[in-house]
Amino acid sequence: MKLAWLKTVENAHEDSVWAATWVPSTADDRPPLLLTGSLDETVRLWSPYELKCEATNTGHCLGVVSVAAHPSGEIAASASLDSFIRVFNIRNNETIATLEAPPSEVWQMQFDPSGTTLAVAGGGSASVKLWDTGKWQLIASLSIPRPEGLKPSDKSSSKKFVLSVAWSPDGRRLACGSMDGTISVFDVSRAKFLHHLEGHFMPVRSLVFSPTEPRVLFSASDDGHVHRYDAEGKSLTMALSGHTSWVLSVDVSPDGEAVATGSSDRTIRLWDPKMRAAAQTLNNHTDQVWAVAFQPSKGPGGRGCWLASVSDDKSISLYDYS
Amino acid sequence: MGEEGDTVLTLRQLQESVDSHPDDPSHHFNLGVFLWEKGKQSKEIKEKAAEHFVISVKFNPQNDAAFRYLGHYYSRLSVDNHRASKCYQRAVTLNPHDSESGEAICDLLDQEGKESLEVAVCREASEKSPRAFWAFRRLGYLQLHQKKWSEAVQSLQHAIRGYPACADLWEALGLAYQRLGMFTAAIKSYGRAIELEDSRVFSLVESGNIFLMLGSCRKGVEQFQQALQISPQNVSAHYGLASGLLGLSMECISLGAFRWGASLLEEASKVAKASTCLAGNISCIWKLHGDIQLTYAKCFPWMEEAQGLEIDEKFFSTSILSWKRTCCLAAVFASRSYQRALHLVPWQANIYTDIAITSDLICSLQGSDKQDLNAWQLPEKMSLGGLLLESSNSEFWVALGCLSSHGALKQHAFIQGLQLDISLAVAWAYLGKLYREKGEKQLARQAFDRARSIDPSLALPWAGMSADIFVRELTPDEAYESCLRAVQILPLPEFQIGLAKLALLSGHLSSSLVFGAIQQALQRAPQHPEAHNMNGLVCEARFDYQSAASSYRLARCAISTFAGNVRKSHLQDVSINLARSLCKAGNALDAMLECEDLKKEGLLDLEGLQIYAISLWQLGKNDLALSVTRNLAANVLSMEQTSRAASISFICRLLYYISGQDSAIISILKMPKELFQGSKISYVVSAIHALDQSNQLESVVSSSRYFLKSHEEITEMHFLIALSKLVKHGSKDYLRIQTGVNHLKKFLHMYPSSGLMRNLLGYLLLSSGEWNGIHIATRCITAGPSHCSKEEGLRSACEILGAAVVACYTTGNCNGKFSFPTCGYECLHGSGAIQQLQKWLRQEPWNHNARYLLILNYLQKAREERFPPHLCIVLERLIGVALSSQMFSKKDMSCQYQKFQLLLCASEISLQGGDHIGCINNAKKALGLFLPDGSLFFAHLLLCRAYAAEDNFVGLHEQYLRCLELKTDYHIGWICLKFIVSRYKVQNDSNLLELGLEESPKEMKNSQNMWMAVSSLVHGLIAIWTQDFLSAEQFLVQACLLASAESSLFLCHGAICMELARQQCDSQFLSLAFRSLKRARETSLSPLPIVSLLLAQVEGSLGSKTKWEKNLRLEWFSWPPEKRPAEIIFQMHLLSRESKEVSDSSLSAESCQNPRRWILQAIHLNPSCLRYWKALHKLME
Repeated sequence: MKLAWLKTVENAHEDSVWAATWVPSTADDRPPLLLTGSLDETVRLWSPYELKCEATNTGHCLGVVSVAAHPSGEIAASASLDSFIRVFNIRNNETIATLEAPPSEVWQMQFDPSGTTLAVAGGGSASVKLWDTGKWQLIASLSIPRPEGLKPSDKSSSKKFVLSVAWSPDGRRLACGSMDGTISVFDVSRAKFLHHLEGHFMPVRSLVFSPTEPRVLFSASDDGHVHRYDAEGKSLTMALSGHTSWVLSVDVSPDGEAVATGSSDRTIRLWDPKMRAAAQTLNNHTDQVWAVAFQPSKGPGGRGCWLASVSDDKSISLYDYS
Repeated sequence: MGEEGDTVLTLRQLQESVDSHPDDPSHHFNLGVFLWEKGKQSKEIKEKAAEHFVISVKFNPQNDAAFRYLGHYYSRLSVDNHRASKCYQRAVTLNPHDSESGEAICDLLDQEGKESLEVAVCREASEKSPRAFWAFRRLGYLQLHQKKWSEAVQSLQHAIRGYPACADLWEALGLAYQRLGMFTAAIKSYGRAIELEDSRVFSLVESGNIFLMLGSCRKGVEQFQQALQISPQNVSAHYGLASGLLGLSMECISLGAFRWGASLLEEASKVAKASTCLAGNISCIWKLHGDIQLTYAKCFPWMEEAQGLEIDEKFFSTSILSWKRTCCLAAVFASRSYQRALHLVPWQANIYTDIAITSDLICSLQGSDKQDLNAWQLPEKMSLGGLLLESSNSEFWVALGCLSSHGALKQHAFIQGLQLDISLAVAWAYLGKLYREKGEKQLARQAFDRARSIDPSLALPWAGMSADIFVRELTPDEAYESCLRAVQILPLPEFQIGLAKLALLSGHLSSSLVFGAIQQALQRAPQHPEAHNMNGLVCEARFDYQSAASSYRLARCAISTFAGNVRKSHLQDVSINLARSLCKAGNALDAMLECEDLKKEGLLDLEGLQIYAISLWQLGKNDLALSVTRNLAANVLSMEQTSRAASISFICRLLYYISGQDSAIISILKMPKELFQGSKISYVVSAIHALDQSNQLESVVSSSRYFLKSHEEITEMHFLIALSKLVKHGSKDYLRIQTGVNHLKKFLHMYPSSGLMRNLLGYLLLSSGEWNGIHIATRCITAGPSHCSKEEGLRSACEILGAAVVACYTTGNCNGKFSFPTCGYECLHGSGAIQQLQKWLRQEPWNHNARYLLILNYLQKAREERFPPHLCIVLERLIGVALSSQMFSKKDMSCQYQKFQLLLCASEISLQGGDHIGCINNAKKALGLFLPDGSLFFAHLLLCRAYAAEDNFVGLHEQYLRCLELKTDYHIGWICLKFIVSRYKVQNDSNLLELGLEESPKEMKNSQNMWMAVSSLVHGLIAIWTQDFLSAEQFLVQACLLASAESSLFLCHGAICMELARQQCDSQFLSLAFRSLKRARETSLSPLPIVSLLLAQVEGSLGSKTKWEKNLRLEWFSWPPEKRPAEIIFQMHLLSRESKEVSDSSLSAESCQNPRRWILQAIHLNPSCLRYWKALHKLME
């Protein structure tokens, strides 16, 4: 397993690039695209091979903190610090919907695998909001229960500030990570909180389920560790350490064999879960790496895929994973 | 070889002693120590040593050193920590001072993580002995680690007694103090640590932090800079430095030093940026960077880079736009930095508010219009973000209230904030502002009052109070004061412009506080036309009309570029201001053009008309000016009372200037009388009346004078009346000064404290040229340090004083060291005048008059003291400085005259110093000036003297003829000339000289007599030269008749009579002499010398011995001790001889010495006199 550097676009945005995701290829064979969001208030689409900027979408008033792509590859959503979510058509940048939440209540977003629901990490509301992608209406709010012994009037809800969210590949479970380091797991169909996954003691900024194993959840936290949980069994199955600063982002390769992480220590690491160790460390970014994203493979046939990383140094890099 | 041998020998000896006394532990111990020391790396020898230690310990379990060695052995060689710690423990228990063992056991325990055991060991040792400093040190560190601050302080303080030079301990103590909140103590401890080791980064950073916390940013910045020099990668030092610089710049900004603040912020921003590169994921650094940029955006000043902005409107607007762009860019940077901080820690509520404030600033700078009122605005929404996370924070509510654009929401937010904290002054203040905007004056007032009473250091309530000037019924002064307070607390342009407006109302416009404020306002609100307009008004109040005009031009540019639709009246006001200041600046043409522009638009009001008229008149377009004036006069009746008087005065003056006195008088008579009611107009009418010989305006003037009310106004009017009397009663080229003097004397009794009248009286008296006038002049002015600089009337008091003292012939030296004053008027100021003038010159070093008068006074003094060299040097330098002044290049008559006088002074000094060439050169230079003959006469006179001194009689004669040709009005000139002529026997065939003296003006009676007397005296003196004592006596009789108050004339007469009596042995002359001398003694104020001596001689000749004695004694006392001549001493010898013979009872002066000593003293003073020697010889016999 290896990452080979392919290309870097310097000054891809005017300011720090904070979010990146792959837009899957569409039914009519449009290739997958890379979607990035930045502090310069824009969202950009990049062609996959030469990383050519295909489109620059404006419209946010503050920096873009999160981007999400619909499984169909037709629509995408971007969210900014002022808690507006803009849902737009990939092809023509047409605004499909503008979802507004109270400020501080929109962070990471993800579409569910079937594309019917958009889950949004609800920040200060200590919940995950689910939006219906047909009517663009709020359908549910999955709240993290308050710890026992805490009076409802107590204003310390910010302890459970929800930063990250992840759908299980089968769409049945939803995990969210919060500022105090706990990860909460919900049963989506019953809209019910199941349990906490513990082990981190600092904010969990990124979560991802293994695409091959629905029970396996990877988490990245400011405490510098990457954890692997059994989300059903409520147990920590592995902790990977090596980053010297916060781990900002985690993603699992389509084959489920490798995990990539981006960190504040300006490196990207490729981990081999089987070996429980880092397989590779990449140092090509000059500032903290806010997001790493594997290109989802279309089928079992394609062995290799790409990894994209974005950083505070305004650049985007592309690697070949094999 | 030797050493090794020694070792072997010692070893053998030790071994032997062990062998001989196997039970003695000390031998074992000694051997053990020897082996341990020598063993070095060899394990076997050390093991052997250990064996001996074990034996030693077995026999003597009290040997702590043995335990220590054993401990070393177990910990280092056999690595048995358990045993090692046991041994060390034992060693420490036996000897708590054993720091080696103590440190070792603590290290062992530390490695094993047994912190509590470690503490116990240390505590035990420290309790056992207060000198176990190692234990205190260790304990202190441990307590520090456990955050038991106050216990740590005690332990560390104790430990420091043992290790006073240990920087670690001081640093630890500093930390403990800091955590306890004892900041001063902490700073001292850190300072000590730094003193001991100057590379203590921790101490530097922490003491820097404390300094910042205590508000002394500059000291903090120094600490951080020092820390960064040692450790350039230190993030906390970077952070501290940046925040220290931010703090410094805030201080600058609160004083209004925007540019300084901005430059500090630029530096701070660089530092903060550098630290973000070191640690990009620390949100507080990004927040700090945001704070710095936001402050920069709020303080970056607009600067007038180039002159002439007011002409080029486009240049002006681009300059302002680029300023705005800079501010906006900084705000965007700030926003970005805050967003990064928020992205890192989205749960921190205050960053939402920061972003909200920044977005609000960006919106206002970009000038984007408020959009849909129903949608959330970004600033509003972001401030809500903070509230969602921390709804109990009252300041977030206030922020929401300030940033929201929705009135009801604002009010709600402020009230929410107040519910959380009723004493939140800011919320009250903003609530007051909100109510004011809504027009609810009463509520606004209450809110402001409450805010002010809670926190008087808040600017807004003060500003609010001053804005409510009419609701609160404040006087303009009160409003100005409270606005000033607001400006001083917070230099906001809105407050500053308001301050200028209130200053206009209350008459403080020329205050430098207002000037500073409005200049600052320009830096922060250059797009605001009112700022420029106010700046113009302030400049105008400070008499800087050029700047005022350019400010008004800028105001117009700002109106046309940045203010959308402005009322026409505003533009009109600015234009009229511009015209006025142009007119005042002397730029009549531009002023007229401005007025014409206004006229075209129909905006020319009455003030404008006046400016128009004045500028037309200045341009010489008298007809147009007259028609404008007529236009103005037609509108006068419709004006308000206050401005009406000003307009009338203006019209009268303009009429006078344009069409002359007569037509002005006719116009005044035509106008209704009730228009001339007021003090100002009264002056104007009186002045015109003064010039009018036919008194047509009598009734108008007298009626208008009823309106003079205040003390000052009345004295000013008297001033005017006195002047008018001079003019009215005088002829064309001759002023009747005496009438003015009389008037002033009369009214000075009513207003004795009026400096104005006093000065004028002094001036008039001086100008009258009367003999005694000058003395009265010095008495009627009040000159003092506080009066010198004040210009009152035509001349200042100091000038009059200086001139009067120069003019006084008695030269006013009262100490009698150089002469005997006979002036009957007792010059009050005398030598004090020079001091007074020096004070004046020091106050106004640029004042030529002061220097000029000082020079003249010094010359007088020098003359009196017979030109001592030091005074001559001073004078030369003073004259050099004075002549180098630019002022004398002017063609003005008075300047030329002053230069002439100075040159004559210089010439006189040269003459006295024996430099004839210099004297002649200076005098010739003086002759080159364009002056009336009467003055040039004196230059020739001086040349006469110079040639006489050179014995150049041809030149002398030539100059003499020139003098006769030129003639002069001054008696003194003629008299001097006469004196010189007689002295040097210049051929004098014509009678011109006598004629000249008689032709001199005779209008002044007193002076005329005096001059004639002096002239007679001179004649008498000339007669004495020719030994013609009889005619000399005649001349002096004449002189004494003419000036009966001059004691010196009588003295002279008396002396001549005595000489005559001696020559002719005529007792008639003796009685004449007696009478004159008696008269001389009676008239002189202070005892004149010689008079009594001569009298004594007269009495002696007449045969009265007692009277002779009495007079001689009087003579003795009429001399100052240091000046008594030899003769008087000699005379005293006679007296003492007499008294010796008669009686010894007297206490008089002569009895203090015997006759011989008197003679010796006389001889000592004048050894050349044969008479004294003879007398001595006689006495010795």
